[in-house]
Amino acid sequence: MAVANIDPDVPSVPSSNLPAAIQTNGIGVKYSLRFTKKTTIQRSFVNLFKHEPADEFWALRDVTFKLVHGESLGVIGPNGAGKSTLLQVLAGIIAPSEGTAEVNGLISSLLTLGAGFDQDLTGRENIRLAGAFLGLQGSDMARRTPGIIEFADLGPFIDAPLRTYSSGMRARLGFSIATSVDPDILLLDEVLATGDETFRAKSKARVVELVRQAKGVVFVTHDMNWVTEFCNRAILLQKGRIVAEGDPAEVVEIHKENSRRAKAEREAALAAALAASGGGILPPDAVGSKLLR
Amino acid sequence: MSATAEAPARYRAAAVRPGPVGLLREAASETFARRRLIGYLVQADVRKKGADTLLGNLWWVIDPLLQMAVYVVLVSVIFQRKQEDYPIFIFAAILPWKWFQTSVYDGITSVTGAGGLIRQVQFPKLVLPVASSFAAVVNFAFGLIPLTALMVLLFPHRLSWTLLLIPLIAVVQFFFNVAMAIGLGALNVFFRDIGNVARHAMRLWFYLSPGLYAITELQAAGERLRVPLIQHILLWNPFAILFTAYRSVIYDRTTPDWGALAALLVASLILLMLATLLFKRAEPAFAKVL
Repeated sequence: MAVANIDPDVPSVPSSNLPAAIQTNGIGVKYSLRFTKKTTIQRSFVNLFKHEPADEFWALRDVTFKLVHGESLGVIGPNGAGKSTLLQVLAGIIAPSEGTAEVNGLISSLLTLGAGFDQDLTGRENIRLAGAFLGLQGSDMARRTPGIIEFADLGPFIDAPLRTYSSGMRARLGFSIATSVDPDILLLDEVLATGDETFRAKSKARVVELVRQAKGVVFVTHDMNWVTEFCNRAILLQKGRIVAEGDPAEVVEIHKENSRRAKAEREAALAAALAASGGGILPPDAVGSKLLR
Repeated sequence: MSATAEAPARYRAAAVRPGPVGLLREAASETFARRRLIGYLVQADVRKKGADTLLGNLWWVIDPLLQMAVYVVLVSVIFQRKQEDYPIFIFAAILPWKWFQTSVYDGITSVTGAGGLIRQVQFPKLVLPVASSFAAVVNFAFGLIPLTALMVLLFPHRLSWTLLLIPLIAVVQFFFNVAMAIGLGALNVFFRDIGNVARHAMRLWFYLSPGLYAITELQAAGERLRVPLIQHILLWNPFAILFTAYRSVIYDRTTPDWGALAALLVASLILLMLATLLFKRAEPAFAKVL
C-alpha cells in the first residue's frame, strides 16, 4: 500500500547520500476515543463497567518516508487525512503509537501560528517567551529579536498586549518567529494562506530562501500551485496512509483525480438516495448523513 | 550556523518509552535545562495576578490579614475560645495554608490552561506545574511582610531568632506543594472535575488540620474517636506536622520537631517522584486530549 521510499536507489529522493533530516519508520498514531475525549470521573466510571471495546481510530498508519536537507516536501490530501497529525509527530508534540520518527536538526514548528503564547504579554515579550519555549538560548533570541520585529512589521503594536492583535497580525508575528530562529527543519501548516498579499509574497520569498539554504521544509497545504512550484517532492495522504509519493506535479495530479472521483461518488450516492426515496422528501438527517459521507 | 539551543536538536520519537528511572532522569534534566523558560512563566504569572485588580499585588499582603481577621472574630469573639495572642497563633497557619492552596489550584489548571501551546510546540510539559509552584512561592514571600509587621507592631514579645527557621520549614513544604501540583496537574487533563473535588477536599483538609486550634485538641479529638487508624491519619497529616512546625518557630519561640519534618521531607520527595512518574507517563497523551 504505502510507497516506502527508504531505498537509497530510488531516484525520486534527490541527493539521498546526504544524512536524513527526518526519517520515519512505519509510524502510526492511534486515538483511543474513550480516553481522548474530555471526560469526567463519572463518565470514566461508567466506561469502566461497560466493557465495550475501546473506540480506536488510526489517524496515521504505516507512514515511512525520508527527508534530506535541502528538500522541501509538500504533504497534501483531503481533510482529515492525517496531515496535521503527521506534522505534530515530526515536531515531537505527539509520540507515535507505533514506529519511530528520527529527527536530526533543530526543528521550528509553530504549527498554529495565530495562537501566540501569552495573550496578556506584549508582542516583544511573546518573542522572548517563544524563544524559551522553542528552547533557544536567551542571548541568541535577543540577537534575533530586531529581525523578527522588522519582518513582522507590526509598528507600535509590538509593545501592545497580544490580545489586541488581529488574526493577521498574530499570524505575521508567528511566521516571523518560526522562520527567524534559523531552524534546520521547518514545519509549516497552512500558513501561507494567512496575512495580506504583501505579507504572503514576503513569506513565500523567505521560505524559498530557507529551502535554498539547504534546510529541510515540510509543508501542509491545500494550495496546489505552491506545491508544484516550490516543493521538490510531495506526499499524498489519504485516511492516514501514504497513497502516492514522488514528483509534485504527478502527486498533485493523482490528488486532483482522487478528489474528483470522491466527489462524483458522493454525488452518485446522494442521487441514489434521492431516487430510492421515490423523489419524496427525505428526512433531513438522512440527507445530512449522505452528504457527510 | 544554526541556533544554540537548550532543547535537543536531534531526537527520536518512538512508541516505546523509557522505564521509570529513565523517565525520572529525563524529567530532572529537561526541567533544569528549561529553567529560563520557568523563570519567564513565573514572571508572567506574577505580573498577571496583580494586573486586573485596583490594588494589584498589594492583595497578597492584605488577603492573609483579612482572613486572619475573619477567624479572630469567629473564634475569639463568637466562640469565646481563650488562646493567648490568637492573631499570631492563627496567622502562623494561614500563611502556609494560603501558599498550599495557591499551589494546588494553580497546579491543577497549569497544564489544561496551556492547551493551545501544547498542541503547537514541543516542550517539556513539566515546566508548567513547576512554574506555577514557583510563582506561588512569591505569594508566600509576600505574606511574610504582614507577619513581620504584625509581630513588630502588636506582639513584639513574640519576636525571637527562631523566626529565621521559617525558610527551612518552607523548603519541606515546597517539595510537598510541587508534588501535589504535578500530580493533580496531570490528572486534571483527563478528569476535569479535579478542581471541583479539590475545593471541598481542601476545606475539609484545613479544618481537620491543627490550624484554627492547637495540635493537642486534635490529639484529644482522635482519642475520643477510639479508632486508631483515624487517629494516625489525623496526626500524620502533612499539615499537622507543618502547622505545628510553623507555630513553634513563630508563636512558641521554640525549634520545631526536626524528626517529624525530616520524615515529611522524605515522604514529600517520594510523592514528588511518584507524581513526576505519573506526569511523564501521561505526557505523550496531553497533546491528543487537550
